[in-house]
Amino acid sequence: MKTTALSLLSTLLLCALTITTNAQKVYATKTGQVFFNATGGIEKIAAVNNQTDSKFVDQTGQIIFAVLVKGFKFENQLMEDHFNENYMESSKFPKADFKGYITNVKEINFSKDGSYPITVEGDLTIHGVAKKVSTKGTLKIEKGQPQIEGEFVVKIKDYGITGLYIGDKIAADASITINCKY
Amino acid sequence: MKKIILSALVLILIIAASGYYYVFIYSKNRKFDMEHAESMNIKADELVKAFQENEASANKQYLDKVLLINGVVGATAKTQAGETSVTLSSSDPFSGVMATLDSTITSQVKVGDTIDIKGFCKGFLSDVVITNAIIQ
Repeated sequence: MKTTALSLLSTLLLCALTITTNAQKVYATKTGQVFFNATGGIEKIAAVNNQTDSKFVDQTGQIIFAVLVKGFKFENQLMEDHFNENYMESSKFPKADFKGYITNVKEINFSKDGSYPITVEGDLTIHGVAKKVSTKGTLKIEKGQPQIEGEFVVKIKDYGITGLYIGDKIAADASITINCKY
Repeated sequence: MKKIILSALVLILIIAASGYYYVFIYSKNRKFDMEHAESMNIKADELVKAFQENEASANKQYLDKVLLINGVVGATAKTQAGETSVTLSSSDPFSGVMATLDSTITSQVKVGDTIDIKGFCKGFLSDVVITNAIIQ
């Protein structure tokens, strides 16, 4: 009887341990930041989106960033109107997103504060066109709260974006910087 | 002849100065008058449902429009940029209307208050996103 009870207890403990080990956590934010910079000449062509939606899973490294294109704020309203109407066609393509993985997520100790280098790979969709991208970034853990910082450099024309001034006043390669606190 | 050339030069200068003023000064400092802007009235729950049921159709109807949204405050928070965001609840606990208040606005709203929020509809992610919002 004692042996049976002990076996049952061991099995329950093992099950509990397995469940704990496999428990994964999803980190999320709806107010992350994405910065866009395509300055090609003297005039600054830059904007920020403060309503970036992002989630990632600590066990698998699966990660998503999504922004509404009309949510990018420029210092100059006229520039913002041109960005939406003449280049991004944001009424037709209202969202841009990245879906992929932190490929080295197993190297991160989420219970220990620190700064961990990460590699992110996946599909970046802008203007309705999806392209494979890979970049390096940093995942910081502070008091158990993660923060991801990284940068993509994209060739504007690769995403089917056309218009005057690309490669001139507007840089041919734009930088997209991400800063999300979860 | 000299007079014609001089007049043409002055005219070109005026046009160039006007263009510079419009592009670099007026457009930079122009502020949208949200308080007096015409708006479409809608309940937060109806707005969320419209996007969940047919996002393309809701985008056509509401994208970049000024909306006056009535709803119950489900959450308030600070964005990473330090702005205040107010989320109005809907019947779906996973989705609401998230409005980022104009940076000049200070808000005293509390969770559970029924309020009207006016701002630009920017589309739908997890929530319907509203920017440049004011509380009316």
